[in-house]
Amino acid sequence: MQKRLKGKVAIVAGAGSTGVDGLGNGKASAVVYAREGASVMLVDLNLEAAEKTRQMIEQEGGTCFAFQANVRQRSDCEAMVQKCLQEYGQIDILHNNVGVEPKTFGGVLNTDDAEWDRVINVNLKSMFITSSAVLPSMLERGSGAILNISSVSAERLSPGLFLYCVSKAGVNTLTKAMALDYADKGIRVNAIMPGLMDTPMVERHKEFYGGDREKMRQLRNERAPMKRMGEAWDVANAALFLVSDEAKYITGQVLAVDGGYLCKP
Amino acid sequence: MGRLDGKAAVITGGSQGIGRATVELFIAEGAKVVVADLLASEGEALCDRLGPDCVFCKTDVTVEDQVRNLIEVAVKRFGRIDCLFNNAGILGQTGGIESMEVDRFDRVMASHGRSVMLGMKHVAPYMKQQGFGSIINTGSISGIQAVSAYMDYSAAKAAVIHLTKCVAMELGEFGIRVNSVSPGQIATGMGKTGPDALEKAAVLRELNKTRQPIPRSGMPEDVAFAALYLASDESSFVNGHDLVVDGGLIGGSSWTERQRMSASVHGALQRQA
Ligand SMILES: NC(=O)c1ccc[n+]([C@@H]2O[C@H](COP(=O)([O-])OP(=O)(O)OC[C@H]3O[C@@H](n4cnc5c(N)ncnc54)[C@H](O)[C@@H]3O)[C@@H](O)[C@H]2O)c1
Ligand SMILES: NC(=O)c1ccc[n+]([C@@H]2O[C@H](COP(=O)([O-])OP(=O)(O)OC[C@H]3O[C@@H](n4cnc5c(N)ncnc54)[C@H](O)[C@@H]3O)[C@@H](O)[C@H]2O)c1
Repeated sequence: MQKRLKGKVAIVAGAGSTGVDGLGNGKASAVVYAREGASVMLVDLNLEAAEKTRQMIEQEGGTCFAFQANVRQRSDCEAMVQKCLQEYGQIDILHNNVGVEPKTFGGVLNTDDAEWDRVINVNLKSMFITSSAVLPSMLERGSGAILNISSVSAERLSPGLFLYCVSKAGVNTLTKAMALDYADKGIRVNAIMPGLMDTPMVERHKEFYGGDREKMRQLRNERAPMKRMGEAWDVANAALFLVSDEAKYITGQVLAVDGGYLCKP
Repeated sequence: MGRLDGKAAVITGGSQGIGRATVELFIAEGAKVVVADLLASEGEALCDRLGPDCVFCKTDVTVEDQVRNLIEVAVKRFGRIDCLFNNAGILGQTGGIESMEVDRFDRVMASHGRSVMLGMKHVAPYMKQQGFGSIINTGSISGIQAVSAYMDYSAAKAAVIHLTKCVAMELGEFGIRVNSVSPGQIATGMGKTGPDALEKAAVLRELNKTRQPIPRSGMPEDVAFAALYLASDESSFVNGHDLVVDGGLIGGSSWTERQRMSASVHGALQRQA
């Protein structure tokens, strides 16, 4: 069977994992892209985390390299694009995985300007910056696929998470707007909303469960209509479908990978 | 290695159009398929061409006994049922609410809403027993956006999309996923058969070029790939979702020549000021 991303080049921003050794959405996506034949540039603020992903891919015989960049910085993103073009000569896929939760859970009154700026910049502005850095080269070739990682929080609010929700709602709208602007230039833009996932990023939610990790996992499993959380691989496989040519008529879509969480009353 | 190796699927409306493209793709990916349709000669010819893993079962999907029989045929033949693609359907009527023909309204509702309900009703017990399964229903962007032409069809498709989500909530915990796929403007011969269908598809392929932001018509294969994703284990955490395959249509208009012109006029005015 032909590999589904044969000959393609992908940049995965946020390709490492929280806790370095764990398996998050970004890491799993980078691994799946490489398995399907793509050459992958692994971008992360934490170089050590990106290197772990590189090791995993290289052990499987895939092609990739790690690169340190802060996606909040335009200069870093421009260097990232230059480096990718220098190494691989083209960019077919931009996968924007970077996202963080607010430091403290709470409402407007618990949030200062600096925290607002931090979360909006990391979760939303970063996708604007990486996209504007990558688009010229995609436009030149008349093709490309951009994938943004949003969250079910864009559509379903949870108490204490307003800032995260606002940032992810912005990601959904950015996705749809960019899709329209570049559809006739051969560029597709889609997003994924992961639901309750069993990944290292959510470890800190155990605060809500009296620090009891097992209780947290059990209750998160129960809250999902499929009575289980999803895995990073679920996001990675959805990403693979959306960036591959199989989805070449899909643009401006926000795919929920949530076991049905968003339908639930 | 195919992505549906070892799986068995039922595809309704599989004799032509989107259904047929999906039958072909599923077979190529290693599935065994029962094709259900009213069009027997087309369906049988398709199965003959695709070999013993593809069998035809003449079915009117609006009739409960026939749908029950269809699912039984699949389970008897292949010993399991991994996927049901409820895709059959007919066109709605044009003209407004005042000229609505009531019998025709009922037929359109039945061909989409009732048929999808019947398929899910009769496949659920088998899938529950297995502890897995993927049900895919064909919605439409008409079920999302309100258009006054084909209002019966649009309302029926809205019902399909919502019923999908309701059943997803019920069956999720049994390992069964229920999703819909909503095509935009796809070049098929919908509502016609034989050479007329081919001609309609060819005309639509041209006409559709400018009807959505991606400047080409949707093709049956585009929808078939979405169905493949939803049928395969790659989507094992996707449930209750309506996957839209429309070249960006429902998102709005992209930059047209006209908009480009007004933007440049705006720019010129700004420079003058
Ligand atoms: N895990 C879940 O349950 C869940 C649910 C919904 C949405 N999401 C979304 O998924 C995405 C992340 O998933 P993950 O599992 O890969 O998370 P992760 O935290 O494991 O990995 C994110 C990586 O991004 C890197 N990063 C952070 N800030 C950066 C910056 N400014 N520049 C470059 N790199 C930076 C981190 O170092 C980390 O390696 C986020 O967008 C998140 O909002 C996750
Ligand atoms: N073509 C489009 O642009 C488009 C757009 C959105 C949604 N859809 C939907 O996609 C699905 C497939 O449409 P298509 O374009 O391939 O059309 P099509 O007419 O080529 O295929 C539909 C098939 O369903 C069969 N069918 C109709 N009523 C039936 C019944 N009662 N029992 C059994 N079989 C029956 C027909 O015989 C035909 O083979 C339909 O549900 C349609 O509403 C199509």
